[in-house]
Order: sequence, then structure tokens, then C-alpha cells
Amino acid sequence: MTYVDVLRRELALVGIRGRSARRIVAEVDDHLRSDPEAEPRFGSARDLANEFAAELGTTASRRSAVAAFAALGVAGAVYAVAFVGANHAGRAAGGEPLASLAFAVIVVAPQLAFVAGSLALLRAWRLRRERVLASSERTVIARRGAVALGSGLVTMAAWLVFALAFRGQLAGWWVTFTLAASAAAVVLLAAAAVPALVAARLQPAVAGPAGDVFDDLGLQRYRTDPWRFARRVALLVGLGVWIAGIAAADPFDGLLRGLIEALACFGGFALLGRYLGLRS
Amino acid sequence: MRGEVLRGHLDLLILATVDRDPAHGYLVVERLKERSGGVLGLAEGTVYPALHRLERAGLLASSWSKSDARPRRVYRLTRRGRAELAARRDEWKRFSGAVKAVVA
Repeated sequence: MTYVDVLRRELALVGIRGRSARRIVAEVDDHLRSDPEAEPRFGSARDLANEFAAELGTTASRRSAVAAFAALGVAGAVYAVAFVGANHAGRAAGGEPLASLAFAVIVVAPQLAFVAGSLALLRAWRLRRERVLASSERTVIARRGAVALGSGLVTMAAWLVFALAFRGQLAGWWVTFTLAASAAAVVLLAAAAVPALVAARLQPAVAGPAGDVFDDLGLQRYRTDPWRFARRVALLVGLGVWIAGIAAADPFDGLLRGLIEALACFGGFALLGRYLGLRS
Repeated sequence: MRGEVLRGHLDLLILATVDRDPAHGYLVVERLKERSGGVLGLAEGTVYPALHRLERAGLLASSWSKSDARPRRVYRLTRRGRAELAARRDEWKRFSGAVKAVVA
């Protein structure tokens, strides 16, 4: 087997196929035809393929984080209009268990989507000047992006279910808007998953630590006790919700919602903290 | 010259070699050797990934040349690449001047 044959195989093994692979192989082949003695200076075909995959994978990971966040931004706008509009579209009472479940999802899932999407973008931004990202760092970005997009998709699906369940009770304009805009957002979020799939296909081996949320936020002092960080964030979030309740002249309900929000925040850190690279 | 020293300036060197005339990968390596009197020898294994990266960053553009016996990917500076090269040249002049003043 020639060097070029081995390179073609190694490129496929690290996930570089199609036009990109053909171009790399053609360039290396041309170079070796011009100077057959250059082969040792290319290094091993495996290392060369890995280098290409590492650089392509780094670009793809950054792009996937930006695409996910942008799509979530549009979905967030749809969400806001649907949420605010629902208050002016009449009163939805009763409903099936599925509608109640959809409402619960509408409350919880977008928060998860926002946090995970922001953290994916934050990691990509923090490492924007790195030529090559460690595989473990790319995994963190991929997981955060996947959770963000998954939560966004579930939220939009929940709006669809909610609008269908209450289409007889809520104003027609709201139902029409929510069905059309949520469906469009589902398509957009699904499209935003494509860059993530492209990034996931590239599998270079690049050593290095994954880092955690304390690297992302520049709060390394919390690394020795991540639970202290989780408690403080939960407390701040809970307080914020309570204050919002007081501002809306509903302090007791606000307090209850603040408690639930703080517990959900802390629970999220406990459940997903390691998976999303929040703590190591 | 040691590889790690060259790697730190890889992008500047590659951009500079295609400044006046477009070049394919083999020619980039050859020009570098020639212009540096044989002192700067970039390993081919680092040049091609860098060319692809600089293209993704919008600093280089490339196309297949059909004027040669076989198709070759030829790289040229983009407008953004030209601006980046000018900035990096200034940066290099300041840096090398400072190092020279200290070391000499």
C-alpha cells in the first residue's frame, strides 16, 4: 500500500470522507509526485489524518455551538410571544393529562435549553483562539449543544400539544400563531443539529482535560467545593423569582415558585453536572 | 531551525509565501526553503493542515488549477488575508526588533 492509500484509509477512520478526503488525498498525492522524498516529512499517515480531523473538528464544534445558540434564540422569541400571547388569548381550563404535562415541559425545558446552550457557546467562545481543542473539550461542547437542542425541540413540541389541546378555548389567532411558529422552530432546531452531527462524525484523538464550568466562568475558587457554587446559584435564582413575585404583588406564590426554582436548579446541577462538564 | 520555533510563526510564513503569487502546497514549501536560504524547512505534514485552516478562516482562497499536467490546488491571499498579513508583519517587526535589541 502506498502512503496515499494509507492516508485515505486513516482519513476515513477519523471521520473525514467525501470531498474533503478527496481533496486532501489529491494534494498529498500531487506533492509526493513532485517530490517522492518528501514522504518522511509528512509524518505518519495516521498523524496527518488526525491533525486534519483535529482542526476540522475544532471548527465544526465551534460552529455547532453557534448554530445551536442562534436557533435557540429564534425559538426563544417564538416562546416569548406564545407565552405572553397566551395571557391575552383567553382562559385555558381543564385539559387532559397530556396538556398538563405539556405545560410542565413548557416551564422546565426552556430553562435547561437556555442554560445548556449558553454554556456550549461560552465554552466555544472561551476557546476561540485555540488552534485545536482536546477531544474531551469537544465532547463537553457536543453534550451541552445536544441537551440545549433536545430541550428546545421538546419545548416547541410541548407548545404544539398545548395549542392543540386548548384550540377550542383559546383565541384562534394565538392557536394559529403557536402551531405555525412552533412547527417552524422545530424545523430550525432540527437544522441546527446538522452542524453538531458533522462535528460528532470527526473523531480525532487529542489529549487534554475537559475543563469545567469554573474554567468557563473564571471562578476557579469554587472548584474545591462545586456544591457551594450550586447552592449559591440556586439561592440567587430562587431569590430572583421571589422578588419577581413580590413585584407582581404575589409574594407567597412568588416564594413558592422561588423555592421550586431553586430546588430545580440545584437538582439540575446534581443530575447533569458531570455530563455537561459543570464539575469534574 | 527547531520545529516549535517555526510552528509559532507558521501562519505568518505561509501567508507571506503566497503574498505576491498564488501557490500550491508543494510550491509553498519550496518558496519557503528558497527565500530563507534553506534555513526554514517546514514539514509538509504541518503545511497542508495549516493551508486548510487558513482557508477556513477566510485568509486564503483556493481553486483547482488546470494549467499543470495534473490538477493542483492553488492558494491565494484574500483581502482579509492581506490585511491579516500586514498586521502580522508589523507585529513581527516590532517583536524581532525588540528581541534583537536585547540579544545583540
